[in-house]
Amino acid sequence: MKEIQGLSYEAVYNGMKERNVKDSTAKLAGAHVTIAGVGGLGSNIAIALTRIGVGHLTLIDFDTVELSNLNRQQFKLSQLDMPKVTALKQNLQEFNPFVAIDTVQTKVTHDNVQDLFAGADIICEAFDNPAAKAMLLEAATEFYPDKPLVMGTGMAGIHSSNTITTKHPRPNLYIAGDGTSKGAEGLMAPRVMICAGHEANMIARLILGETDI
Amino acid sequence: MVIVNGQAESGIVGQTITEFLTKREAPLENIVVERNGDIVHRADFDVTLVAENDKIELISFVGGG
Repeated sequence: MKEIQGLSYEAVYNGMKERNVKDSTAKLAGAHVTIAGVGGLGSNIAIALTRIGVGHLTLIDFDTVELSNLNRQQFKLSQLDMPKVTALKQNLQEFNPFVAIDTVQTKVTHDNVQDLFAGADIICEAFDNPAAKAMLLEAATEFYPDKPLVMGTGMAGIHSSNTITTKHPRPNLYIAGDGTSKGAEGLMAPRVMICAGHEANMIARLILGETDI
Repeated sequence: MVIVNGQAESGIVGQTITEFLTKREAPLENIVVERNGDIVHRADFDVTLVAENDKIELISFVGGG
């Protein structure tokens, strides 16, 4: 019998399924989400999607873990200087063994968007750089107009939680955030996690067939 | 008349997308322009002219993530 940390495979799987929304687990397990950027937004989104058993995640980021990341990004002191995608994969595998995780340590540019997102059912944008966000929206719309794209913009500072919303400005495009607060104000885990939660919940809704915000 | 982000604007017909965006003091690289439902490619910003009755949506991004 296959075991996971001394527990039966079935026990661990049923534990995940027990509190997931009714009839959601099989659909979640069949989905492939590619997350572009695994910093404050992406690492938190990846954890949420891993915990509910989204079956296949691809993590993309060029960067390594730095001390200044740890106030909001889901890495550990012991993971300093590691590629973020490698460190995050390690952490995710401890949360849920039923998720296939691919890692790509590269910078996303217009030239590699077509390759990087070919397998994704849903594209998740989680960069910090605004020009990179704009580039991905433009390229994803060009190459994959039929794939839902979930983005984030504006989660900085210590403004009200309630200014962060999810908008649906055009078909297949969902944008979470307050739309205005800039990273230079400071970025802290609580508010970044609210925006990450918006993105992750929209992705879960899309997987389960809910296309409204 | 041109509709920009839902608001009627005059005096912008005939401008290129680059001219139009620059006059709004918006950093070009952080903005995606939707014109009549289609995304305008960045490479075409200098050669795409704003036309009468255009409906333009500017999707702009701020840093942080």
